[in-house]
Amino acid sequence: METFAQSLVSGVLTGALYAMIGIGLTVVFGVMRIINLAHGEMVMLGMFGAFWSQKLWKLDPFVSLLVWTPLMFVAGMLLYRLLLRKIIPGGELNTLLYTAGLSLLIANLALFAWTGDYRTISLSYGITPFRPLGIAIAVPLAVAFVLAILITVTLWLFLSRTDLGRAIRATSQNPEASVLMGIDVERVAMVTFGLGTALAGAAGVLLAPSLYLYPTVGELLIVKCFVIVVLGGLGSVPGAIAGGILLGVVESLGAVYVSGTYKDGIGFVLFLAVLLYRPSGLFGAGR
Amino acid sequence: MTRRLLPALLGVAVLVAIPLSIRNSFFLHVCILILMWTVLGAAWNVLGGFAGQVSFGHAALFAVGAYTTIILYLKGGLAPWWGIPLGGLAAALVSVPIGLLCFRLRGPYFALATLAVAEIVKLVALNWESVTAGSVGYLITTLPPVRLFGLEVNWERKPPFFAAAAVLAVVALLTTGWLRNSRLGAYLVAIRENEDAAEAVGIDTVRAKVVTLALSAFLAGMGGGFYAFYFRYVDPDAVAGIGLSMEMVFIAVVGGLGTVGGPLIGAVFLTAVAELVRDRFQMGHLIFYGLFMMLVIRFMPEGIWGRVRRLTPGARTGG
Repeated sequence: METFAQSLVSGVLTGALYAMIGIGLTVVFGVMRIINLAHGEMVMLGMFGAFWSQKLWKLDPFVSLLVWTPLMFVAGMLLYRLLLRKIIPGGELNTLLYTAGLSLLIANLALFAWTGDYRTISLSYGITPFRPLGIAIAVPLAVAFVLAILITVTLWLFLSRTDLGRAIRATSQNPEASVLMGIDVERVAMVTFGLGTALAGAAGVLLAPSLYLYPTVGELLIVKCFVIVVLGGLGSVPGAIAGGILLGVVESLGAVYVSGTYKDGIGFVLFLAVLLYRPSGLFGAGR
Repeated sequence: MTRRLLPALLGVAVLVAIPLSIRNSFFLHVCILILMWTVLGAAWNVLGGFAGQVSFGHAALFAVGAYTTIILYLKGGLAPWWGIPLGGLAAALVSVPIGLLCFRLRGPYFALATLAVAEIVKLVALNWESVTAGSVGYLITTLPPVRLFGLEVNWERKPPFFAAAAVLAVVALLTTGWLRNSRLGAYLVAIRENEDAAEAVGIDTVRAKVVTLALSAFLAGMGGGFYAFYFRYVDPDAVAGIGLSMEMVFIAVVGGLGTVGGPLIGAVFLTAVAELVRDRFQMGHLIFYGLFMMLVIRFMPEGIWGRVRRLTPGARTGG
C-alpha cells in the first residue's frame, strides 16, 4: 500500500510537468492546426539552459526560469515569424515534415555543441527528500510541481481573462469567424507559438534537476507529449493537464507493477487505443 | 516509349558497369548504400508520396524484414536470396493489421499513430528475447558458399552485394513506375488530393491504402533483409530507431514526393552528405538532413527530381 501511495504521488508530480509540455503543444495545435515535432527540442533547450546557467553563473535552476521563459517566448515568436509562417499555408503534412526537419537540426546541433554525454544537475537541497506522511518526495521535484501549477494557473487566467487570451481561444475555436470579428489572427498565431515554446522551455528548466540531460532527450519527450495531448484531445488545455497527470501516474505505477522494459510500452498502447477509439480524447473535447 | 526505355537501359548499363570497372571498395560501398537507401526511400515514397500518408514509423517494417531474414538464416539456414524476399513478405504481413488500425486516422493523426507503432515494435524487439535476442542482437559470422556460373562467390568482396542491392533497387523503381501508371496509383493520388472526394466517387480508400502500405512494407522489409546480410548485424537500436524512419522520410521528400526517380536522387544526396561529413564529426550528417529537409519544403516542396522534371519541357509523362 505504501509503495502504491509513493508511486502515485511521484506520478502526479511528474505528471504535472508533463502536462505543462503538453499544454504548449496543444495550444499551438489549437490555434494553428500544426503539430510541432520540434516541441521536444524546446524542452531540451530549456533543460540545457538550466544546466548552463547553474554551471556558468551559479544560478539556481528555478531562478533561471525567470531568464529562460521570456527568452524562449521571444525565440518562439521569431521562429514562427521567420520560418513557420511561410510553411503553414502549404498544408499540415508539409508543416509536420518541416518541424521534423527542425527537430533533427536542433537536436543534432545540440549534440555537436554539447556531445551526447548524460549530465545531471546537483542541488544542495536535492539530496534528502522530505517525508510528509511517510512518503518520500524529492525536493526539486516538489518545487518544480508547485511552480508548474503556478505557471499553469497563470496561463489559465491569461487565456480566460485577457483580451489576447480570449482572442487565442476564439481563433482556436473558429479561425474564420475570428478574422471576421476583427482578430489579428497572424498576431495571435505568433503569440501562441511563443507561448507554446515558452511553456516547453519552462517545463525543461523545471524538469532539469529531476532527469538526465542529453541532447536527444527531446525524442523521448515528444513521444510522451503526443501521448498526453492525444489522451486529452488535441487542442484542449484541460485535456492536456489530465492527460499529463494520467501518463505520469501510469508510468510511475507501471515502473512498480509491470516487469521488464515493457512498462515503457503502456503509454504507447494507451495512446493507440485512444487514437483509435476516442480520437477526440478521453474527455471528449472538440477535435 | 523510347524516351522511357532509354534512361532505363542507361541505368542498367551503369549498374552493370560500376562493379566491373571500379576496384575501389570504398566507392563500391558508397554505391551499395545509395542503392539500399533508394529501395527504402522508394518504399516510403509509395505511401507518403503517392498516397500522401506520412509515416514516421517505417523503421518498424524495416526491422521486421531485417529480423525475419537474419533469423531464417541463422536458425533455419535459409540463403539470402530466399530470406530477403521472405523478410519483405513478413513485413507486408505485419503491415496489414497495422494499416487496418492506423488508417482509421487521417493526416497528422496517422503520422502520430505510426510513431507509436514503431516504438511498440522496438520495445517488442528489445523484450522478446527468445526470438530477437533482445538488446544483444544477432551477428552473422559466415555466409554460405555459393557457386555462380562456375565461379565461387566471394562474400568478403563488395560486388555480390552490389548486384543484390542493384536488383532490389531496380525492383523498387519498377514497382513505383508501375504504380504511377496503374489504377491503384490513380486512386492513391485521388486520396492524397482529397480523401472525402475519393470516397465519394466510390474508391475503397481503406483498401487502397492498406494494399499500398503492404507494398511499401514489402520493399522496406527487403531493404531490411539486405541490410542484415550486408552489415551482418541486427539489434533494436540499429534497425528500429526513429532516426531510420526519419532518413526514409528525408530521402523521399528531398528527392521528390510522388515521383519515380526521386528516391534515387534523394539517396545519392543523403549518402553523399553522410559520407562527406562523417570524417569531421560522427552525427553531423543529421544536422544537414534536418536543414535540407527544411530548405526543400520551404523552397521546392516538389523535391529535387520534381523540380528538374518541371523545368524540362515536355517531360511531364517521363521519368
